[in-house]
Amino acid sequence: MNISRMIKMEIPIDVVSLDHLYAISRMVCENTDWKEMLDDATHLVRTILIFDNLAVYLQDPDTKEIEVLYAKAIGRGREGGEDVTWGEALASQVIQNLETILQQPGLVKVENRLKQPYLLGIPLRIDHKCLGALLLIRFGGPPYEENQVKLAEFIAQQVTQLIEKQQLYEIARRIDDQDKQIQLQKDFISTISHELRSPLGFIKGYTTTLLRSDTSWDNATQMEFLQIIDQETDHLQLLIENLLDSSRLQSGLLKMKYQHVRVDTLVRDAIARKKMYHSNLETELQIKGELSPIQGDPYRLSQVIENVLSNAVKYAPESKIYIKIEQYNGSTQIDISDNGPGIPQKYIPHIFERFFRNPEQSPTIHGSGLGLFICQQIMIAHQGSITAESKINQGTTIHIELPNQPKLI
Amino acid sequence: MTLILVVDDEHLYRHLLKVNLEKEGYDVIAASDGEEALDIISTKRPDLVILDLLMPRLDGFTTCERIRQFSNMPIIILTAKGDEQDRVAGLNIGADDYVVKPFSATELVARVRAVLRRAETTEQVANNRYFIHGNLKIDFARAEVWRENKPVYLSATEYRLLIQFAQNISKVLSAEELLSSIWGPQYRTDKEILWVSIARLRQKLEENPHRPLHIVTRPGLGYLMPPAEKEI
Repeated sequence: MNISRMIKMEIPIDVVSLDHLYAISRMVCENTDWKEMLDDATHLVRTILIFDNLAVYLQDPDTKEIEVLYAKAIGRGREGGEDVTWGEALASQVIQNLETILQQPGLVKVENRLKQPYLLGIPLRIDHKCLGALLLIRFGGPPYEENQVKLAEFIAQQVTQLIEKQQLYEIARRIDDQDKQIQLQKDFISTISHELRSPLGFIKGYTTTLLRSDTSWDNATQMEFLQIIDQETDHLQLLIENLLDSSRLQSGLLKMKYQHVRVDTLVRDAIARKKMYHSNLETELQIKGELSPIQGDPYRLSQVIENVLSNAVKYAPESKIYIKIEQYNGSTQIDISDNGPGIPQKYIPHIFERFFRNPEQSPTIHGSGLGLFICQQIMIAHQGSITAESKINQGTTIHIELPNQPKLI
Repeated sequence: MTLILVVDDEHLYRHLLKVNLEKEGYDVIAASDGEEALDIISTKRPDLVILDLLMPRLDGFTTCERIRQFSNMPIIILTAKGDEQDRVAGLNIGADDYVVKPFSATELVARVRAVLRRAETTEQVANNRYFIHGNLKIDFARAEVWRENKPVYLSATEYRLLIQFAQNISKVLSAEELLSSIWGPQYRTDKEILWVSIARLRQKLEENPHRPLHIVTRPGLGYLMPPAEKEI
């Protein structure tokens, strides 16, 4: 509200001082919740504008239904409760006509003030829309003076601003959430296209090198190139499988095929397979006590173990990997630890999310952000869990917990 | 012997380019990021640079831009980003050609030959990584400025403004020219922005900002960096 309009309100300075108006507009600035603002303002407003009941009705923009979202009974209104008027009919009228309406009883009988409400209804309008109406009710008078009506309109405008602000915040938050989702999808597409192109680029590059008609390569070089092509084809295959698995797991289409599984054999096999590709890999396997076979899908459980081992090799290449297996209370615990650089604490809650990758990680380390998501989904399907614990510059431990006999669903 | 610098963060690409180019009889050195590349360029002065765009530390775009501030050596950009926008952006920052990944070895070798052939007919600009003007020194490769051997911290805009003067020594540059080349054509008439930036630059670079030696005002015409010998 600008100064010139405030002057036009012609409220005598002894009734409403600038301090009051300033205090009210400050409440609007300092509150993000319009109801809290009204709670705060009621006391102050009542010192300059007497009322018994105050109600705010908002109109649903789609259904046009009105609903009371704030109501406060002060003074005489407190004795009446739900029996007295809250001005609902007038609120509809105010919203429909888009104007301030005064409704006063014809004849005042002093004995039953609660039956003689003086109603003041003000539309909550902003630009061309009407959000609802603010109702002030005085039981048994006195009638509203013109200046008081204008003051009430000022308050209604303030409330409107705040409601609008709050609704815009809500919309902004929703758009922000959607943006985050879209960004995640975009990141995924860009990561995945990079991850797919990368092995494809090597396959294309080394194949066309071998195919160059203007030159020839000795046997050793040919073998070297073919090995690179072979390895990159596997890489591509794994990536595509991961992509498919993650969609199937996400949509619940992947069923676990339960059978007896010897966890120690499964882990030993996974380690042996890793060592085939990483001959320098050092591991230490510790098995506590006797292990009994469990029920699980051996292929999927191997996938989890291999994935966790791959991460250790990838992100902590210098480190030895420690694997500990033990069984107690009907469950199997597998801990896989490294002494690598660790994961910053703030990212730990996100590492099992689909497509999440540590943004501080060097872009030279490839990954699709699917591995740990797939692991977690497989663990959930086994009624187990997978969690991470990490300390910067000390290392990371992945805890896997599996029930020995998952409940049949 | 022709020396080619290959810059890619992926070991397998560096290897691929190296074997193919060496087979052609070129000498090949490799760098795994932009910073390493810039250091090699200023010491070994290769005849051609093959530059990947997506790299850690200093990406290919920035590296290409920095090289262009002190050298017109041939640059081929290697990009996994095949869309038009990226290719145009690459050419706009001064690349001579681009190759989209995945590429065939034969095509790459052919392009290298073509670019080198074209380069033979172009005169090489003196490749000076450093620019010295009185007590001022600019390291184009690192985008760093030194005054009396102490580093001066410039904003990106201030740095670009300074570079404009350094690359056009003793030439008067009009306010419109500077505004449209650094801020963009839509800022051509916003002289006040330039005034503020020139004043800030002088505060940082000049002994006495009111009697500037590096960036001098020519009233009614513009600004210039006078030839260095006059002020030493």
